This record gives sequence, structure tokens and C-alpha cells, in this order.
Amino acid sequence: MNALLTLIKREFQEDFQASRGAVFLLIATVVLSSFAVLLVSNTELSLLDNAQAVYMMAGIIIALAALVAVIRGSDGFAGERDRETLEPLLLAPITGRRLAEAKLCGLLCSWLVLFILALPYLWAVGSTGQNLLPAVQYLFLTGTLMVLLFGGAALALSAKMRSFKGVLSLGLALLLFLGSPIVLGPSLRQSYVGRMLDLANPLAGALNTLDSVIIDSQGVALQLVRLTIMIAYSLAVLWFLKAVTRRIEP
Amino acid sequence: MKFPTWKNLALIMLAAGVWLAPSAGPAAAGDGPALNVTLQAPAGVLKMGDTPNFLGAVTNLSRQPAQGLVVYLSLVSLAPGDEHPVDLEDWSAQKAVRLDLLNPGASDYRHWGMRLIAAGKYGVVLTVVDPRENRPIVSDLVPFEIKPKATLIAGRVLPVALGEPLLILFLWGGMVFYNFRSYHKPKAEELG
Repeated sequence: MNALLTLIKREFQEDFQASRGAVFLLIATVVLSSFAVLLVSNTELSLLDNAQAVYMMAGIIIALAALVAVIRGSDGFAGERDRETLEPLLLAPITGRRLAEAKLCGLLCSWLVLFILALPYLWAVGSTGQNLLPAVQYLFLTGTLMVLLFGGAALALSAKMRSFKGVLSLGLALLLFLGSPIVLGPSLRQSYVGRMLDLANPLAGALNTLDSVIIDSQGVALQLVRLTIMIAYSLAVLWFLKAVTRRIEP
Repeated sequence: MKFPTWKNLALIMLAAGVWLAPSAGPAAAGDGPALNVTLQAPAGVLKMGDTPNFLGAVTNLSRQPAQGLVVYLSLVSLAPGDEHPVDLEDWSAQKAVRLDLLNPGASDYRHWGMRLIAAGKYGVVLTVVDPRENRPIVSDLVPFEIKPKATLIAGRVLPVALGEPLLILFLWGGMVFYNFRSYHKPKAEELG
């Protein structure tokens, strides 16, 4: 247990005490600030309903969280391997699974910090409207599931593949693939096939859940199917991560 | 025989036109239902963010049932100098309905909910398309005005948008400075 805590602490220090962590936080806040300024500076956007603005902001936060999870997850084992620091790490009296757990905790800590940083933005654009509290609750829930899913998948690939660049390319391709149906127009997604694709896509599920809760003020009963699917994906990814980290090649 | 004057000739042509005119209209030909469509705006002042209902009514005035009617709402911006049709994408979840059957004399009353997204002057019409007729039937234009409502307040958003990156920069700078000081601080044994 102590070794696990030490590893989690190491992950946290690497993320937030090194320049890399500060740059990540700075970029995240600059992205959120740019979008917030765009909302108020554009006449048409500034007249948006508060709930609509909160939903758009929440969508950007989810996309940022998934992107960061893919980048950090890809770096998990493959990055250590590239920097030749994985071998000494594997010499420590800790199993590969524990190592993966520590890395996953690091990812969740990054998400938690991003979520805390995003709260003032949500308040700024949505405090005068409706559904701000459910928006925050569901953002935390769906964001955590997306980080587990994308971060876990990237971490699992990182344990198996040799190079960081390869894992990152694959992770980003997966993110783009799952994100691509979202750019399709609503009319295409209204068809039977479109609805099925939406249901099977966890990223679309997260955004549709936020849309349903924030804009349409719908209750938890209508979110159960989508949440169950997202949880099922996350559990499958965690199981895959557990399986591939049983034995890690240096 | 006296030839008619130009004035009499014009009167004869007008009379013939009036007599012939009803038979030229498709609805009066007796081969298709005549429909009446009306749209009513909600009472009171409308402002952004409201979700008023416009009451639409389609009535079958003929003796035949009307089948497969398509009824849809159209919104147009009437801002002077910027008149344009408005895409109902964000404004209305229900853009069109199909009426399978409308019996003779029957009316279909329906609320057309709309979410008022942007301020300005607008007009809305309800159109009915009968597949057996070559001309759609359109209600009168219902003009309405949406009052603006400030939803995103710059005074609230800008301090957060500018403050957070600056705070992160400040904390980062402080951390770098602290690490620099700690690294270069002379150790006790070095001081002798």
C-alpha cells in the first residue's frame, strides 16, 4: 500500500510540481477563457440562453478532459519506456497492476484539477440561468467516466506498444473516431442508424446526457441507459487494462 | 346593328371574368378539399428565453376528407434591412407534422412551441401542403417582437476569463522562484 501511495505521490508531483503540469493547467484555462470571451464578445452568442452556454462550456470541458486523458495515458508506460525510466520503476517491489492503478489515479487527479478550474467558468456563464447544479454534477460524473475510458484505453495501449508516438497517434485517432459523429447534423442523427450510433458511442452519450440534463431539464430516469452504457465501456476498459498490465515488458 | 363601345366591351369582359374565375381555382373545382389555416400569436410581451406556444388551426372546408397533409411552421426575421428566413433548428423541436386524415368540417388545433433564441422583429406563418393540390395554403403572417434579455454578463465572465490564467501564471512563477531559491540556498555546512 505504501508503495502505491508513493507512486501516486510521484505521479502527482510530476504533474503539478513540474513545468509540464503548469503548462497543462495554463493551456486548459486559456482554452476555457478564450471560449468564455467568445461567448460574451459575440453579439449573437452573448444572447444565448444560459443553459445553452453552460452546455457548450461543459462540452468543451469533456473534450479537454478526454484529450488530456489520451495524452497522459499514452505517456503512462510508453513515455517512461522512451525516457528509459520504466526499467528502474519495474524493479520496485510493486506489480504492474499496481503501477497501472497509480497511473490511473494520476489521471483522475488531473481531471479533478481541471474540473475545479472549470467551475468558475460554469458559474460565470450559467449562474443566472437554470440547471447549473445538475450541470456540475453530471459533468463530474460523465467526465470521470470519459477519463477512465480514454485514459484507461491509452494506458493499456501504452503498456503494450513500444513507442509513445505510436500510442498517442492511436489514442488520438480513437478520440477523433468517437468524436466524428458529433459533427454530423442533428437530422442525420435523428435516423434509426444515427440514433443507434449515438447510443453506442460513449462520447456522444456523455454529450447527449449533458444536453438532456442542462437544456431539456430531464431527470435521472432518462439518463440511465446512456449512463449504463458509459459505465459498461469504462469497466471493459479497466478490465482490459488489468489484463495487459499483468506483465509489463521493460 | 350597333357595335358596343370600348366601355361596354370592358364591362362584358369583366363580367365574363367574374363568371369564369371560380371554375379556374383548384379548390372550387370540386376535386380536392378546400382548407383554411390560421395561426395565433400568444398574448403578452415576449422576451428572449421564453417558450411561447403559437396556436395553429387547420380546417377542412370541403365535403371530402383531406389526407396526408403536411403542416409546417416558417419563421422570418423582419428586422429592417436584415430580412431573412430563420432556421428553426434551435428555435423549435417540432418543425412539421403530418396529418393523416382531416374529415370534412373538422379542424386540427395544435400548439407550436417555440424557444425564443434571439431578440428582434419576426413573422411566423403556418403552411399546409395538400399532396393533391399544386399550391400550398399559407396562414396570414403573424408578426411578433422579442425583447432582448442579457443572459451572459460580461462583468461576470471577464474577471474569471482573465483572472484564472493569470492566477495559474502567478502560482507557477511563485513555484519556480521558490524552487530556484531552495536550490541556490547555501547549505549550513557550506557556510561553515
